[in-house]
Amino acid sequence: MNVVVIGLSHHSSPVELRERFAFAEAKIPEALKLLRESGIAAEAVILSTCNRVEIYAATALEPVRAFAELKKFLVTVHAYDMALGDELYTLVEPQSLHHLFKVACGMDSMVLGETEILGQLKKAYDLALQHQHTGARLNKAFQRAFNVAKHIRTETNIQRGSVSVASVAVELAEKIFSSLTNREVLVIGAGETSEKTARALLSRGARSIIVVNRSHDRAMALANELGGRAVPFDDWGAEFEKIDIAISSTSAPHHILDRARLEPLMKARQQRPLLLIDIAVPRDIDPEVNFLENVYLYNIDDLQAIADGYLKQRKEEIARCEQIIAEKVKGLLQSKHENRGWKIEDGTSGSPSSILYPPPSL
Amino acid sequence: MSWFTDRHFFLLAVAVYGVSTVYSVFLWRKGFRKDDHINYLLLLVAFTLHTVAMFQRGFSFNQCPVNNLYEATTFLLWALVAAYLAVGLLPRLKFLGAFASPVLFAVGVFALMPSLDPPRGPQPEFSGALTSLHAATIMLAYGAFGLGAVAAGMFLTQQHDLKFHKLRAVLSLMPPIQRLETITSRLVFVGLVLFTIGLDAGGRLPRPEYTAYWTDPKVVWSIFMWLVYLALLMVRRIFPQSNRRFAWGVVVAFIFLLLTFWGTNLLSTLHHP
Repeated sequence: MNVVVIGLSHHSSPVELRERFAFAEAKIPEALKLLRESGIAAEAVILSTCNRVEIYAATALEPVRAFAELKKFLVTVHAYDMALGDELYTLVEPQSLHHLFKVACGMDSMVLGETEILGQLKKAYDLALQHQHTGARLNKAFQRAFNVAKHIRTETNIQRGSVSVASVAVELAEKIFSSLTNREVLVIGAGETSEKTARALLSRGARSIIVVNRSHDRAMALANELGGRAVPFDDWGAEFEKIDIAISSTSAPHHILDRARLEPLMKARQQRPLLLIDIAVPRDIDPEVNFLENVYLYNIDDLQAIADGYLKQRKEEIARCEQIIAEKVKGLLQSKHENRGWKIEDGTSGSPSSILYPPPSL
Repeated sequence: MSWFTDRHFFLLAVAVYGVSTVYSVFLWRKGFRKDDHINYLLLLVAFTLHTVAMFQRGFSFNQCPVNNLYEATTFLLWALVAAYLAVGLLPRLKFLGAFASPVLFAVGVFALMPSLDPPRGPQPEFSGALTSLHAATIMLAYGAFGLGAVAAGMFLTQQHDLKFHKLRAVLSLMPPIQRLETITSRLVFVGLVLFTIGLDAGGRLPRPEYTAYWTDPKVVWSIFMWLVYLALLMVRRIFPQSNRRFAWGVVVAFIFLLLTFWGTNLLSTLHHP
């Protein structure tokens, strides 16, 4: 009995196709039951995220037959009536295990090394486990995948650092301030990136957000969303006394903050460290302010350069991770052959029954 | 094992400080990207050997081993490592070791020069608990000042990297600059308290006849150093914004302390009769 994978991901298909094959979480147990009852798989796990839909199955069928049945299953339950080509990929051992480990480590993700996928994979596995659709093979394969992900996280830099502008801003703040708890954040201009950055800072413990925007209504709306308060645009200077971090993203054609204006403000705030994030183009903050003591200014290019640096570091780690994964897959397959510990006597090795799929509600 | 003297133990300790220095070079080159325990363990091993050396010397004379330049220097280094091992227990502060190792190694090699540890004459005239308290607290104070200088060095490095948008500022696992600044000022404060206690204990010691006290170079130098550290803390309190200047002050003060420590000892008739 082999572990096989069939699925489609951001590598192989556009979002329009992925969304057609996505499984609603509530419908997954039913789909798993159907898969097993039909005799295609003895064990199965369905992973359905915005970037991938995959079925991990332990099956006694010949791979060619198993994939044909699995493809038929996918097409039928989603009522997909168009032709499918390379969008759907199929993998047998050892590539299927290799793929599972790579997915768990975030190495197959759109953002290399991201960790969210591990949580999604665990959730998918737990769901299958709860409904008793996994057995010795998939249990062992998934648990090993989670161990490999942990090993890779601690031993390599594949998951280190932030690759988005908002996360880099948070990371910078953490390099300056002992703690982000009780830090006040000023958002000047209610743009999307500044909103994301503010949210990220809030999630790390920032106390409150002050929003200023040319359109006060927009400022009020964003302040309400973030649990902060809105201040009229012309009054933002008065807030500098209290704040620790300022994120600026206005569409002003000139600098709204320069050295001459900031110097007295720094005195008023007793020269406490100030992190300025300028994500506006053209820039809102005069680069000269970075020469002031205790002022740390980063513009969008600086943040992007850090994010790119992290990404480069992650890419440099790929070879190491691949090596670790190859060793772990080898170890898993060796243990399979040595103790035949993956044996499952479940009587599913026969031909799949005539599959009668339910209406395409899954 | 009688041939294996305290100096041999200290030699081994210095050798481990050397290994730690080499290892630190790699940590520097890697950019402190991974919380590192190896250097901490290396310094712990060196500290153990160092402690054995000091205890052996101390027990052989039944007093705190600070009677010549070799002993005073080894005590100073010991205090610095002890302070590091305590502070290094806090998260991300193990990297202090990479900044401290080169100083420990360099000063350790210097301390091993035979002329610093002449054969011992008769039992020193002034011994006892007060002398030990005087010497020990002052050396511990130097240790705190030394580690404060190391933390200040880390602060200056990290602050420079953040100011000039160096990638290593975020890639490294160094502590936030605000925490480094707090640690620096606390270590200087602890050092100053210990220094004050040590100087007070020294002032209460019986003075040898026909020796000048207030004009003794070591006494004058110690009071000068005490004033320097006091001024640093006062300035820090009055001008909290000048954290970079404070950090530079702590580094420069300790370099000055290291460079003048032996000279003033040699010139002092009180400390080097």
